[in-house]
Amino acid sequence: MTTQRQLRISHVGLRGVVGMGLEAGHVLDFAAAFGTFLPPGPVVVGRDPRASGVMIREGVVASLLATGHDVVDLGVVSTPVIQHTIQRTEAVGGISIGASHNSAEWNALKFFGAQGTYLSTAEAGELLDIYHLHKFDFVDHERLGKLRFDDSALDAYIDELAEVFDMQAIAQYKVLVDCCNGTSSLILQRLKERYGLQLVLINAQIEGVNFAHEPVTNRKMVSLQLAPLMQPLGADAGFLFDIDSDRVALASEDGSAVSEELVLPMLADYLLPRGEGKLIITNLSTTALIEEVASWHGGRVVRVPVGRQAAMDALATFKANQIALAGEGTGAVMMPRFRFIYDGIASMLAILSLRHERQEPLSAIVARYPKYSILKEELPLVPQRMPQLMMELQRQYADGLADVRDGLRISWPERWFHVRVSQTEPVVRVICEQRGEPPVELMEALLDQVRSFA
Amino acid sequence: MREHRLKIGVSGIRGVVGEFLTPSLACSFAQAFGTFVGTGRVVLGRDTRSSGEMLQHAVACGLLATGCEVIAVGIQPTPTIQVYIGAVHTRGGISVTASHNPPEYNALKLFNSQGLFFNHYERRELLDLFYESAFRKATNAEIRRVIVDPETPRKIHLERVLRHVDVARIRARRFRVALDGVNGAGSELSCRFLEHSLGCQLRAIFVDPSKPFPREAEPRPDTLGELQQLVLKEQAEIGFGQDPDGDRLAVVDENGRVLDNDDVLALVVDAVLNSMPGNVVVNLTTSAAIDDIAQQYGCKVYRTPVGEANVVERMQAVKAVIGGEGSNGGVIFPAVQYCRDSYTAMAFLLDRMERSGQPISQLANRLPRYHRRFGKLAYEHGRLGPLMQALEAFFPDAQADRTDGLKLLLHDGWIHLRASNTEPLLRLAVESRSKERACQLYEQVTRLLG
Repeated sequence: MTTQRQLRISHVGLRGVVGMGLEAGHVLDFAAAFGTFLPPGPVVVGRDPRASGVMIREGVVASLLATGHDVVDLGVVSTPVIQHTIQRTEAVGGISIGASHNSAEWNALKFFGAQGTYLSTAEAGELLDIYHLHKFDFVDHERLGKLRFDDSALDAYIDELAEVFDMQAIAQYKVLVDCCNGTSSLILQRLKERYGLQLVLINAQIEGVNFAHEPVTNRKMVSLQLAPLMQPLGADAGFLFDIDSDRVALASEDGSAVSEELVLPMLADYLLPRGEGKLIITNLSTTALIEEVASWHGGRVVRVPVGRQAAMDALATFKANQIALAGEGTGAVMMPRFRFIYDGIASMLAILSLRHERQEPLSAIVARYPKYSILKEELPLVPQRMPQLMMELQRQYADGLADVRDGLRISWPERWFHVRVSQTEPVVRVICEQRGEPPVELMEALLDQVRSFA
Repeated sequence: MREHRLKIGVSGIRGVVGEFLTPSLACSFAQAFGTFVGTGRVVLGRDTRSSGEMLQHAVACGLLATGCEVIAVGIQPTPTIQVYIGAVHTRGGISVTASHNPPEYNALKLFNSQGLFFNHYERRELLDLFYESAFRKATNAEIRRVIVDPETPRKIHLERVLRHVDVARIRARRFRVALDGVNGAGSELSCRFLEHSLGCQLRAIFVDPSKPFPREAEPRPDTLGELQQLVLKEQAEIGFGQDPDGDRLAVVDENGRVLDNDDVLALVVDAVLNSMPGNVVVNLTTSAAIDDIAQQYGCKVYRTPVGEANVVERMQAVKAVIGGEGSNGGVIFPAVQYCRDSYTAMAFLLDRMERSGQPISQLANRLPRYHRRFGKLAYEHGRLGPLMQALEAFFPDAQADRTDGLKLLLHDGWIHLRASNTEPLLRLAVESRSKERACQLYEQVTRLLG
């Protein structure tokens, strides 16, 4: 349980612990800033099941109406459904209320532009400027927006999934899913009803306060939640979603947890041969396996700083048909077919399609990838000492290739590390990876170094 | 001069939506309210103003943020909300309405757990909380839901009102009634009440809550022209004109004449005392006709400063059976709720017409006849005191009451000069049995006040 006060206002938006940092006033002001930032037109709003989402929704609706925007409320839905609805309709933008993979006490606002994609760095900067200036364009009483509800969004979203994936083929496989009481449950129930998918859902109850477990999509949680059930159930695959269904992690049929880092390479393996796009956009902290998989299919990896802003900025510099996919090692992946939104459900369906195409068990597919071992740690942050730490590391590991766009990443053949300050939490993240066995000694040396600057 | 169209004070928060009354202000005020009343249920409703929906969401946000559960009743007359709050177990309520103010305005009316306006102690405490931004902050586990219930309040309100009149006889009479709902919060409920509950043959105009106000929001002789036409055209026996939040009522007689608001109150007081004698409370500006009527029944009249909250506080203290404020068309009948209620007034007037068998014009003509003149002067800081002194010196034999400005009781009439609670104005009222004397007094006073 987080009991500390927490509030982060940044290019990523607004995020904090409700009642302990994140207050109604922040919500109203941020939504008013967004309403001021957007051109005239309707705005789509949805939320995850957190209890505080009801309060935040009221504030978001009030400020959007006050800045003259009609509001289309989708209720409790996944973030990808909100993004899909923005793309599908005349909406000029949208807001997703939900703290994704954070624990229940948290909440956040995520902002989307007219294409349903995250704001670029420049756009997010402008939004922040309006927020800090507190100069909002409130309209007079005759031009206020109106609120309406739309409950057709989920089916329209599923229609599009069904155009891309062969649901009949996927329906042959028994799939265990842990919804972590989040919005994936609503989509998966509907997929079961419409296409007879053999989905066994656990923690499928929509819940606002007590999530069954921390909504993180990593290998550890898969080992705890899914792995023990795989063989007893005879499931072909197991998936774990975060609350707003943009991230996913998986287990194979033999009951072993697959690293979240493998989601992106597996999807690249499936998608690269299928389209003309050969570029993969990913961040500096993601596994180097992606380069190796890309090379099998003539693909090329473009690395950018961590965070969706950097990914969006990079995507904007290429033609859509040049790109195969974009994503990160957290299990969040965007496909061009879905117009670049992180979508865990689409990722799940793509992995099941890969399973069907290869006609071999997931464990066998996973076993074909060369072994990479990644270690991830985080330590408390002392902001003033960070520059000194980075300089010291760069001096110490001068034999490697340095990338300083986001903290410091140093790479050698078959080995790399990345030290950076988190955008969402007050911590330093330390990640290192090696082809083959885990780089335990490197990690220990790095942690000692970081601690000495604490 | 800087134009400032927002007022935050002991009567709550009121202003022009957009530049002045923002969602953040409404939300903060609701947070202060939620902090003051404590965690529990809070009723939230609104009138039909275009800004109502936006502000309702801002208020809901503030209430939820302090850990209150919101019962959203939607578009409802203010008395309906007050009756509902009093009838169910809640912490209080907020109505998003600027009553009779122009459409660009909106405001929050605040009610305590009994559905009554906050008294002056409560208002002061709330304002302190607001100014200090000392709000309770609910965490995720403490945040409650929004329950939507537009129907129960209406049911309870109408049941309460109908209990006090002879419904069967009124229904049998099939009154021809005209209604002007100003497209306000009462639009739907009034039609249902008059047509279905009381069996009237209803001819209604301006009863579409999705449309803007078709006339000036305050129901007055100079704003009810279309209702007057409707009464004549449809040969209605009575016409009712409401304000946007359904607390005030204006009445048009079968000849198309708008009755004096004081006379409407007098008719209802007469009807109530007839069946249940008891104390009466009215404000200082209300006609002496009330004293004459009360005297007929051997009942006592108490007078208070102008303002619904003042009248209600005194009504509770003296256990009054009826009360109100003549000049602004408000009837307060505690057996339904301590609030101004146009529905109670409509029911009693129809009941009176049915029992007496007389047309409404005749009932009004039989009231003690007084003549009144009203005026207003620009307010300036420090102006009221010297004017009061001048008035008192000019009428040395008058009995003076200084509880709300100055009221001078003469042997053949009275004069009342006070500062408005809601606008930067001084209000003057004069009354006498004789029309000439009323005019004379009015002329004398206005000349004196310059």
